[in-house]
Order: sequence, then structure tokens, then C-alpha cells
Amino acid sequence: MKKTLFERGSAGHIRIHVLPTTRFKTFAVSLYAGIPLNEDTVTATALTPFVLRRGTASYPETIQFREQLEHLYGAGFGFDVYKRGNYQIVQFRMDTINDDFVSSNESLLHKTFSFLGEVVTKPVTENGAFREAYVASERETVRKKLESIINDKIRYAAERCMEEMFRNDPYRLHPLGERKELDGITPQSLYDAYQQWLQHASLDLYVVGDTTLSEVQQLVEQHFTLNRASSPQYVPAVSRLTDREVRTVEEVLDVNQGKLNLGLRIPVTYGDDAYASALLYNGILGSYPHSKLFMNVREKESLAYYAASRFDGHKGIVSIQSGIEIANYSKALDIIKAQLASLREGQISELEMSQTKAMIRNSLLEMQDSAFDMVAYDFNRVLSGRERPAEELLQQVAAVTPENVVEVANQVQLDTIYFLTGKKEV
Amino acid sequence: MEVITHERLKETVYLETMDNGLQVYVLPKPGFKKTYATFSTKFGSIDNHFQVAGEEETTVPDGIAHFLEHKMFEEPEGDIFATFASQGASANAFTSFDQTVYLFSATDNILKNLETLIDFVQHPYFTDQNVEKEKGIIGQEIGMYQDNPDWRVYFGIIEAMYAVHPVHIDIAGTVESIGTITKETLYTCYNAFYHPSNMLLFVVGGVDPEEVFSLVRSNQMKKEYKPQGEIKRIFTAEPAEVHEKRKEIKLPVSLPKCLFGFKETKIGLSGEALLRQDLTTKLALDLLLGTSTKLYQKLYDMDLISDGFGHEYNSNPNYAFSAIGGDTRDPDQLLEVVTEAANEMMASGFQADDFERARKKKIGGFLRMLNSPENIAHEFTRYRFRGGDLFKVLQMYESLTLEEVNTRLREHFNWEQLAVSLVVSP
Repeated sequence: MKKTLFERGSAGHIRIHVLPTTRFKTFAVSLYAGIPLNEDTVTATALTPFVLRRGTASYPETIQFREQLEHLYGAGFGFDVYKRGNYQIVQFRMDTINDDFVSSNESLLHKTFSFLGEVVTKPVTENGAFREAYVASERETVRKKLESIINDKIRYAAERCMEEMFRNDPYRLHPLGERKELDGITPQSLYDAYQQWLQHASLDLYVVGDTTLSEVQQLVEQHFTLNRASSPQYVPAVSRLTDREVRTVEEVLDVNQGKLNLGLRIPVTYGDDAYASALLYNGILGSYPHSKLFMNVREKESLAYYAASRFDGHKGIVSIQSGIEIANYSKALDIIKAQLASLREGQISELEMSQTKAMIRNSLLEMQDSAFDMVAYDFNRVLSGRERPAEELLQQVAAVTPENVVEVANQVQLDTIYFLTGKKEV
Repeated sequence: MEVITHERLKETVYLETMDNGLQVYVLPKPGFKKTYATFSTKFGSIDNHFQVAGEEETTVPDGIAHFLEHKMFEEPEGDIFATFASQGASANAFTSFDQTVYLFSATDNILKNLETLIDFVQHPYFTDQNVEKEKGIIGQEIGMYQDNPDWRVYFGIIEAMYAVHPVHIDIAGTVESIGTITKETLYTCYNAFYHPSNMLLFVVGGVDPEEVFSLVRSNQMKKEYKPQGEIKRIFTAEPAEVHEKRKEIKLPVSLPKCLFGFKETKIGLSGEALLRQDLTTKLALDLLLGTSTKLYQKLYDMDLISDGFGHEYNSNPNYAFSAIGGDTRDPDQLLEVVTEAANEMMASGFQADDFERARKKKIGGFLRMLNSPENIAHEFTRYRFRGGDLFKVLQMYESLTLEEVNTRLREHFNWEQLAVSLVVSP
């Protein structure tokens, strides 16, 4: 297998990662900015990119800002705010057409950097603060986003389950912050928070496309003018088991279908040697249509349309999601618990092992056809401090034995059972 | 074998039509690890009344195309997902208004997986027992969508516009309609629509076209298909006017959801004419309502829209409609402001430089789409089934004129044809 190698460098205390390739029709650019997840800063940090996308020094009006993106052949521009381990990450993305495909006189990569650099470092300001109108309207946008989570019951149940499980840990916080904090944020306080954030966040810039490390380094020096004193490293989360009893939380809303979600702790994270075994554990349990949850909850018992599990290797969580008829709560819970028990007892067939290995292998190989997927995988290395190229993880996955999986299974601890149920008949 | 090269896009497509009528397209992506294949039938939720030449006219229960899709995965020896998993492939399927698509993606065992895909779709296995079992699973899927306000508001607008045309029937049907499905009705649909002459195989990725064609050729030679006459799809005449001006659904939501749009009067197009109308309408919508327009900014500043505000145009030879909207605090005011701006724009026409910029953005979006094998396969098949060619999109965008787009705006924004769909909290 041909190795995909990012070339590494840095400029102005921004770490730079470049993958030169001609396979894609675009330049994919990603900037990750991470700070520790904290009650005091979570809301201001979440609001910041929303205000930054409204206008810059050169394009102060939002319409000008968006027209400029259209001049760049509708360059994709976006951002996400999410949690990884104990960090709140803001990720900016741009996806710009490679000049070869269009009749452009200027380098679209240069223009992309000049645009993104300005978005992040030179926002439009008034009286030494963010523009008031932008702060006011983006505060509403974030508020609406937080309030709308309840519209999507699948997502709502998943987030509520995590919130309950981590009610004594900053991880309970939503990446978009807290509604009650929004009102207290002023253009000045947000601008100050933004400058602190630029100074202290871990910054990693990725480019995948027809370019070189030295070209990107020059572009960063030219367009990201920051006076940073250091480039902080991420500190990986340590997942600890607790000795508390399983907690059951039931919530009533006006729904037709019940959502049964389980939160489990797993003391294995990305940096651990047992990471590959944990991937196998989660795969056999519930990531695929051949997994135990899908086969037993859906195919054998017809109880659900979806029943699946997810493994978060940065925080050490396994979570289970299912949508069921409300009356089937106990039956579905028993079947899910039976699947967890069967893994602890080592009821793992050779076929389950080989199918799951083949599926993990496939997703690791497929990832290399997408610029942003390759970037996301490489960012695991930055977050965890563990260098583990996909080729190496493939070998580790291939070597996992059923005993390794059982070992992981016996460390997994059910923490929270969350059930979203309908209005009870009076 | 036919070779079609699109030099500007740096893409080459290979085509071979099998003796039984199956069309096979291959698009090699040098350097890509993954291969993505779709095997599609031109059979969707709207095809509930039909007649195959030489046979009886038939009406089938609502939701049967989707039900059939679920049941195809079952083989006498078990679930076909397990076979794909053993071969390291990730498989899936989906049903839309006018097609059913079976697919896999894989990085190893490509030819073996391709054969599995073709064989399972060409081998129906329905029993009274397995048909009954599926009703529970699909019942939960229907329940899940019932709780989803985005889905409800989207279907609401189609229900408001269409009185007779089956596009207004939920793709999954209802619990009652699927209750009447039997293995006999499934076989009737299967025999009519899964004949190779009604199907298309598309393979994209790191593959050799001749290897694919020779595999499909020998696979198809082993199976006996009698030539099939034309499938007549019978649609009762749909009145030109909208069915209901306004439709309101009660569901708990953080803000009202509002979609409005126009029921197209210019229908009956196919091939290039349909593609041209599709692209000009989308361009007109983007020029009026896109994120860089004055109207969008005004609505945003008035707190009438938020990030989810958008527009789409869905066109088919015998139905077409637009859907515009998102979450809003005041649906009536939103509609009022849009109406006023649209009337002004119809009077003045779009500006030439705005038109050029919007066109550039669309071209960029099209090129970016070509980075994704999944999108290429889905879009290519969708265009082909409607008699169009995906790879003509770039040239067509370049040939569009401002006058054409202005004319389209005036034609489509016909207030007589307006329908509004709302989801509001009870």
C-alpha cells in the first residue's frame, strides 16, 4: 500500500500539514483551532466563527464577503464547532477549484489563503470591537441553533444521554455553548475573548491539493499575521471508570417513537495500544449491518429500524442509539444488554471477527479518496500525540484476537440509560 | 464498448449495453483506492400504476418500491449484508420518487463484490414470513419520519400541490398501505421493473472498464431474460392548479417551519430540454434567494430566516416544483417580503454581473461534486433515467443566457401556482 504522507512545517506558531497530490479537482484547506472545553469560554468561542463569517476588513459587508467566494468559483467555505476529547474545536474549511479546470488569471490557492487569513485574523471592527449588528444577529443565530436541537429527536436523545452521563464533567457542555450565557456577551467582550483565543488556541492548518509545503508556508506567513508566543500541544483525555451504579433517565416529550440510548465508559482511547481492539469491539457490537445490535434488535425481533453503536476514541465512550415502539422498552433494553453480555462472555464468531476486520479495513482505505477524510484522520495524531499512520492501524486491526476483544468488553461499563418517551395516556 | 471523453473535465466514461438491455457505465478514477457501484432500477414511489406490454394493467399498494428494496437484501442463505461484510464492502440502498438504487463501496475484491451486487438484485426471495417480519421494521421507519419536522414540512408542500399524482405519497407508504403488501404483489413489481432493460449499472473508481464489462457480460449470459416490452406508467391527469394553498401540520418545534414553492406548469419535458429548464430554474432561484443576495441579507437582518434557509427545484418529466424556506418566526411576513422582492426582480430582471457570478458559483459547485464518486454515480444515473447527460452540465451552464434566466423567473414565479406548507407547535 502506497503511503500517504503529510509534509510538516510551521509558520508563526501555526502547525502546517500539506499533502501534495493531483488526484482532486480542488484545494482542500482546513484550519483547526482548539481550546480546552470550559464553562467560562465555551459560549464566546462558539459564537466567534459566526461573527467572523459576517465580514472582514476588506469585505466588511456580508454580501461583499459572500460575493468574493462566488468570484472564487463558488469556493466552499464553512466552519464547524465540535468537541474532541476535552477540547472545543473550531474548524474552518475551504474547498477551492484547482485553476486547471477553469479560466482564471490568478492562483485560486493564493486567493483562498488571502481570504481565509483575513476571515480569521482581520475581522471588520468598529471602536476596537466587533461590529455590534453582527454580534447581535449571530447571537440569535446561535440561540436558534441551540433551541432547534429538540426538533431532531434522534440527535436530541443522543446529546441528552451524553449530557446526563457527563453531568459532573465539562464534557456535558454543548459545543455551541449555553443559551443563558449568550445575552451577557457584548461586542467588546467577544472581541477580547477572540483575541485570547487566537493567542492561545492550538492551531493546525492542513492543505491537500496540487501544492507544496514551501508554497503553503509562504502563504501562511503572508496572510496569517498573528503574534503568538507558542504553539500549544493537545493533552489527550484519560478515560476513567467509576464505581457508581447505572443511572436511568426518562424524559417525556410529544413523540410517536421512543428513543432508547445507552452511554457506556470504555477506558481505551486513541493513544492506547488497545485502540484497535476497541474498534473491533464497537464494530462487532453495533457499527455495521452485520453487527449484533442490528442483527438482534432489528432483524431477529423487528423492534427497530435503527439500532447502532458508536465509539468515541478521544473521550473513551461507547454510545448506543435505537428508535423503538414505546411499549417495547424493556424488551429492547434486555436484548441490548444481552448483546453487551455476549461480548463479555466471548460469544464472538470467527465470521464476526473477519467481517468486522474487513469493514474497518475498507473504511480506512476508502478514507484516502477524500481530502477532508484524510485530514480528519491525520488530526487524530495531533489530538492524541500518537503517530499511527493508517497502514499501521490496518496491521494492528488485522492482529486483534477474540481474546483481545473480550478483554476490552470486560472493561466497558454501562453508565447511563436514557429513554425519550411519549406522553402517557391519562 | 463506447468511449466518451470529456477533456475539460479530465474524465472518460465507458459504456456497453448488454444483449438483455442492461446499460453498464464505467468511469475509471486513476489513483483512487475505492470503487463505488450502483445498480439502479427506474422504479420509485410514483410507479404504483402500470402496464407491461402484453400484460394486465396493475395498481400496487403505496410504499411498495421501498418495501421491495428492503426485501431484496434477504436471500435463502441469510442477509446479503453479511456476504458484503465478508468481502470488505459496505452496502446500502435507497428509494426515491422515481428510482431504487442498490450500492456498495469497497477497496478490495471489487469484481467479487460487483457480482454479489448484480446477483442479489437479480434474485428475489420473498416468503409470507419474511414479508410479515419486515412490516414491523418499516413501521418503525415510518414512525421515525413522522416525528421528523423537516421531513413533514417537505412532504407537506408536495401534498399541498398535488392532488392526484403519486409524488404526494410518502415514499415508505403508510402503516396501513404496507399492511396490504404480500409476496405476490412484490413479485409483480419485481417482474415488471427489475428487467435488465429497465436498469443501469454504474461503476466508478480504480477499475479497468474491460474487466467490468467482461464480468457483467458472462454473468448476464448465465441468466435467462425474455425480452420485455415497454412499461407504460399510468398517471391519472393531475390538475394544473395546486391542491391546497396552505397546509399546516402540528408538531413540537422550536420555531415554525415554513416551505413555499410553485407547482410547475411547464411539464412534459425530457432529455436536454428538461435539463436546461432544471438548470435555469435553479440559477434563477439562486440569483433571487442565494446567500449572497440582497434579499437573503434583508431577511436575515429582519430575523425572518436563519442558516437553514434554502431553496430547491425538483424536476421530472411529469411533475416539477420548487421548495423555498426554513425556520422562521413569522411565515406570513417572510412570504410577504419574498413576494415583494420577487415581483420587483421580475420587473427589472437580474443584473448581468450578478448572473455571471452566480454562473461561476454553479460551475465551481459542479466541479467540486466530481471529486465524489458517490455523487457522480447518483447524479449520472438520475440524469440518465430522465433522458439527460450529467457531463453536459458544464457546457449547458456556459451556454445559458441572462434573458433565459429572466424569462424562467417570470414563468416559474406564477403566484397562482403558489403553495405553502407549515409545521407549527401544537
